[in-house]
Order: sequence, then C-alpha cells, then structure tokens
Amino acid sequence: MDITTFVQDFAGQFEDTDASEFSADTIFKDLDEWSSLSALLIIAMVDENYDVRIKGEDIRNSSTIQDLFDIVKDRK
Amino acid sequence: MKITKYEVTLKRLTEDKIEMVRNWRNDPKIARFMEYRDHITPEMQTQWFKKINNDNNYYFIIEFEGKEIGLINIKDIDFSKKEGEGGIFIYNDDYLNSTVGFQANLCLHDFAFEELGLERIIAHIMKDNKRAVQYNKIQGLKLQPGQEDVMNQLYILEKTDYYAAQNKLIKLLNI
Repeated sequence: MDITTFVQDFAGQFEDTDASEFSADTIFKDLDEWSSLSALLIIAMVDENYDVRIKGEDIRNSSTIQDLFDIVKDRK
Repeated sequence: MKITKYEVTLKRLTEDKIEMVRNWRNDPKIARFMEYRDHITPEMQTQWFKKINNDNNYYFIIEFEGKEIGLINIKDIDFSKKEGEGGIFIYNDDYLNSTVGFQANLCLHDFAFEELGLERIIAHIMKDNKRAVQYNKIQGLKLQPGQEDVMNQLYILEKTDYYAAQNKLIKLLNI
C-alpha cells in the first residue's frame, strides 16, 4: 500500500472538499467538511479497501492522513 | 442510574451536574444548534431540572475515557404511544465529530427500545445543521413527509429501522 493511493481513497469520502486540499500532511479534523459521519466513512473505507479494522480511537489519535496511514500499514 | 455499553457510560443527570450542563448549553458553540438560544439562568435550569427529573424524561451525562463530554436524552416519553424525543450534544471538542456520539446513541437507543419498550424515537433537527442531518440519517432516522420546508425538521427512528442500522454501526465501529 502506498500513501498516494491512501490519500486519494481518503479524499474520496468527501463530497464538498476539493481533492487538491488533501495530502499526507492534511490535518483532516480541521477540514470544514469533517464530521462524525466522515469518521465512520473512513473506518468503512479502510475496512473495504485495505481489509484492516480500525476504531474510532485510531482516528481520534491521528492528526494527519499520514498518521492514519501508518496505523493501517502497521496492521496490514 | 448508569448504563455502560459500547465503550461509553451514560449517567443519569443529577442535580449536582445541572450547573455544568447549563454552562455547556449556554456556550454559543452548542446554543447555535438549539431551537432555544437565549441565555439560561441558574433559576431557569433548576426549574427545568424539576420538570424533567421523572420517568417521562431520561437525561444522561455521556462519560467516555473517564471524562464527562456531553449530554444525551430521551424526553417527553408518551408510554401510550410508545414514543419519545431524542437529543444529543457533545461539548468536549476532543470528541466532537468523532465516533463517540454514535456509541452514545446506540446505548440510548438500546435503552429506549429494550428497557423502556418504545417503538419509535422522534428527533427535531435544524435543517441547516448538515452534520446532524447526516449523523441521524445513518442511524436510521427518516425525514417525515411535509417537513422539507420546515426549519426545525421532524425525523423519526422506527424500532425496525434502528435494528437494521444498529448491526451495521456495531460492525463498523468494531465495538
């Protein structure tokens, strides 16, 4: 798995935020569109695309998309 | 009264906590999403607590990771109609827009349907609160007919819709 694809997959869960706003360093909870539903969609995306189970606390403990990628990669 | 499930604890609201809740409720970050937005005084809060401290209203402090982070309720319960009105707010920013609200709602809805024997839960959601609308829809709440142009819209969660959504949420949240 690579970070570029992960960032794209992450961005794909958002409707109103332009894909150009997403990078590995994006502090995702600062996005205007971020919500509890986003957290749920990210958990579902990681499960479906990477076959890795993450929990709400993994998202709470992550600041950037890179942080979350590292967690997923460790469990892969 | 305390309910612990789905990694959260709901503690029934007691009088010693109403001042904390009043301060949360008066904070503009919470008040702006409420239908009543004027300042709530300590006297008003005491009167409100007297009105809701009974078996037709269940207000709980949401406790997570040992912190009191918000309030959740089922109020105005009509046992003849088997329905009541739900509501929630998360005050602690560390847990806002996280999965904890879903966990607290699962806990409350289980209590409402299984312990109180309700058949549906009503919710009023401000039309412009897009996050709250999405949040509730994924839990199975449905906008009621004729509500499209109403500002504070009526949603209903039927028991059967809840259990369909509940299974998905529990699996997703891995709880």
